[in-house]
Amino acid sequence: MESLSDTKWDVLISGTGLQNSLLALALSRSNKKILHVDENEYYGGAEAAFSLQEVDEWVEKVSGDDPSNPFRNASLWKADAEALNGTPGLSFSRAYTLTLSPQIIYSKSKLLAQLVSSKVYRQLEFQAVGNWWMYDEDTNEFEPLRKLPTSREDVSQDKSLDNRAKRSLMKFLKFVIDYENQAETWESHADAGLEEFLSSQFKLSVNLRSAIAALTLSFEDPHDISVKWALPRIARHLTSIGVFGPGFGAVVPKWGGGAEISQVACRAGAVGGGVYVLGAGIKQSGMVTEDGKQLSQVHLSNGETVKTRRLVGGASHHELTNPKVVSKLISVVSSPLTSLFESSIEGSPLAAVSVVVITSFGTVEHKGQPYPIYIMVHSSETGECPANQCVLYATTMHTKYSKSALEEAVSHLLKSIEKGEGKLLYSLYYEQEQQASTDPTILPNASLDLAFNDEMLQAVENQWKSIVADDTGVGDAIFMQFEDREGMDNDDDDGDEGV
Amino acid sequence: MASDESLPTLKILMIGPSGAGKSALLIRYCDDQFDSESSTATIGVDFKMKKLSVHGKAYRLNLLDTAGQERFRTLSNSYYRGAHGVILVYDISNRESFQAMERWFEEAESNAMPGAIMYLVGSKLDKTNNRMVQTEEGQRLAELHGCGFCEVSSKTRENVRKPFVEIVDSIVRDPKLLSASSRRTGTVNVGTGGGEGWGPRCSC
Repeated sequence: MESLSDTKWDVLISGTGLQNSLLALALSRSNKKILHVDENEYYGGAEAAFSLQEVDEWVEKVSGDDPSNPFRNASLWKADAEALNGTPGLSFSRAYTLTLSPQIIYSKSKLLAQLVSSKVYRQLEFQAVGNWWMYDEDTNEFEPLRKLPTSREDVSQDKSLDNRAKRSLMKFLKFVIDYENQAETWESHADAGLEEFLSSQFKLSVNLRSAIAALTLSFEDPHDISVKWALPRIARHLTSIGVFGPGFGAVVPKWGGGAEISQVACRAGAVGGGVYVLGAGIKQSGMVTEDGKQLSQVHLSNGETVKTRRLVGGASHHELTNPKVVSKLISVVSSPLTSLFESSIEGSPLAAVSVVVITSFGTVEHKGQPYPIYIMVHSSETGECPANQCVLYATTMHTKYSKSALEEAVSHLLKSIEKGEGKLLYSLYYEQEQQASTDPTILPNASLDLAFNDEMLQAVENQWKSIVADDTGVGDAIFMQFEDREGMDNDDDDGDEGV
Repeated sequence: MASDESLPTLKILMIGPSGAGKSALLIRYCDDQFDSESSTATIGVDFKMKKLSVHGKAYRLNLLDTAGQERFRTLSNSYYRGAHGVILVYDISNRESFQAMERWFEEAESNAMPGAIMYLVGSKLDKTNNRMVQTEEGQRLAELHGCGFCEVSSKTRENVRKPFVEIVDSIVRDPKLLSASSRRTGTVNVGTGGGEGWGPRCSC
């Protein structure tokens, strides 16, 4: 087998996280010689998805103290059979696909349009993100879980709202979907807090204010969310509803979200001639001159040395002075939690994901955790767990209390649904730190956000343009727009003699 | 004739070591072409569609090639999703390629959905002068894994239909396998979207 060093590569991409994999997809028809490597033995980088056994191996690595690793303090907990008291426990390792990136993708996101125009969407299966719930013990101790009104029908049918509240809410919703044309209403409040704005300008009750703040998926305390940041996110939520069918505004790819998109994008890269090597990271790189041209000479951790005209993802990470850190808890639960997924809207598809926003729960000591907790509940339809189980992905801002807050929030939530029949079978806790890269094209926030952020696509497009422009200019090429590959529809009808 | 779109689609994967002849078999079967000069890795073949009738009933085969990702054993889990059948190919004139099959069976069995049909193929049957793997050895390995087996030559066309016809025959005998992938109640079609959204409709 010829070695990697025999080829002079046009582009070496290091890392198969979502951004780099989308770049490989974008370059898959460029006729460039592309080598795509990952230091890990798996695809997906910070967006990877794991079987239980792979989680075990990952936890080993993440408990170490490696500053270049955005993940840290991972720990695992498994229920012992006795404590389960007859409840069926965990299934086999590969029955699970636990994702580090349970991001939802809003229907209006350009990502979906680009997965369609690049034709890779055929290898993906998208599922609906259905109900949004709010869990708030402060307001209603006995029925803390209630559905967030996210459609006009929801608002008009919501019995917890009086007519005045309904009118105020409708007035706000009507404003926010058109906020870009109504600068006079908000521009003077652009840097003010969302809470204050909703209260002073729209006279919304405290309940509705926190419901609206929840739609931003912000990790911050709602008082600290600025109006100019929040409005586009609330508008994105509302205008996405109904785009692909009634009753939902976001989707997730089956089998682990971002991890699945990465893999499918990398396969497209391979179909286009890209060479894939896992378990090979960049150990060291430097510039050499060959035939008057500057090349990067890269030493890979698998012992090979390769030369490439362009190197993507080779930059080192450095710590930010005040990095954002989030705490995450992935829990496997012994119940399908059916009621969370039921839809009251006619014609809506069976949702595979529900979002629960927890604003208040439990005892005084968790007032030390003033930040909202988001729980993405994934049903077995996502392919991430066996039937009759669920996976809960809980996220909150990292604090001294965040780990116990996440654990307690999950346990409170489970008690409040299906008469508490859902028992915890497994949980994985870890922290993820925002990292800056010396490469300005790498986005520091990308995998922290709970909804896919279209800024990543702009970054990929810029990278793609600069690489394609190396020789010939971009020409007629349109970013992420490809014809179907020749599929050849032939018949093999001539009899059954083989059978 | 029923429109092709409405026919049941069966997803069948080709796997095996580099140079075993996976693409040659696929291209001979689908396009009836063979290029003896082409020994380089496959570029540009994502999948091929082919209609096949077994026992008078027509199916659409969605045949996937490895796109070179077998070279460094970097096939992704997503490649195996929803596959009804896996055709494992080795080269009868290359002992090493046969010895690698145990690992390929392992990979296929752990990644494909439970009950997916495997089928073992010894390729390059035209190279009997350089045969390094006896027919009986292939037969025995297939029996060990409870799967079908044959030897083919993409060059001479000998047996090229056989693996496809036989694997489809096994797949369609298993109604559980067929229904496992057709249950898609919750799938959202993002390809034909373009609905109104909440906003425009709310002109209240």
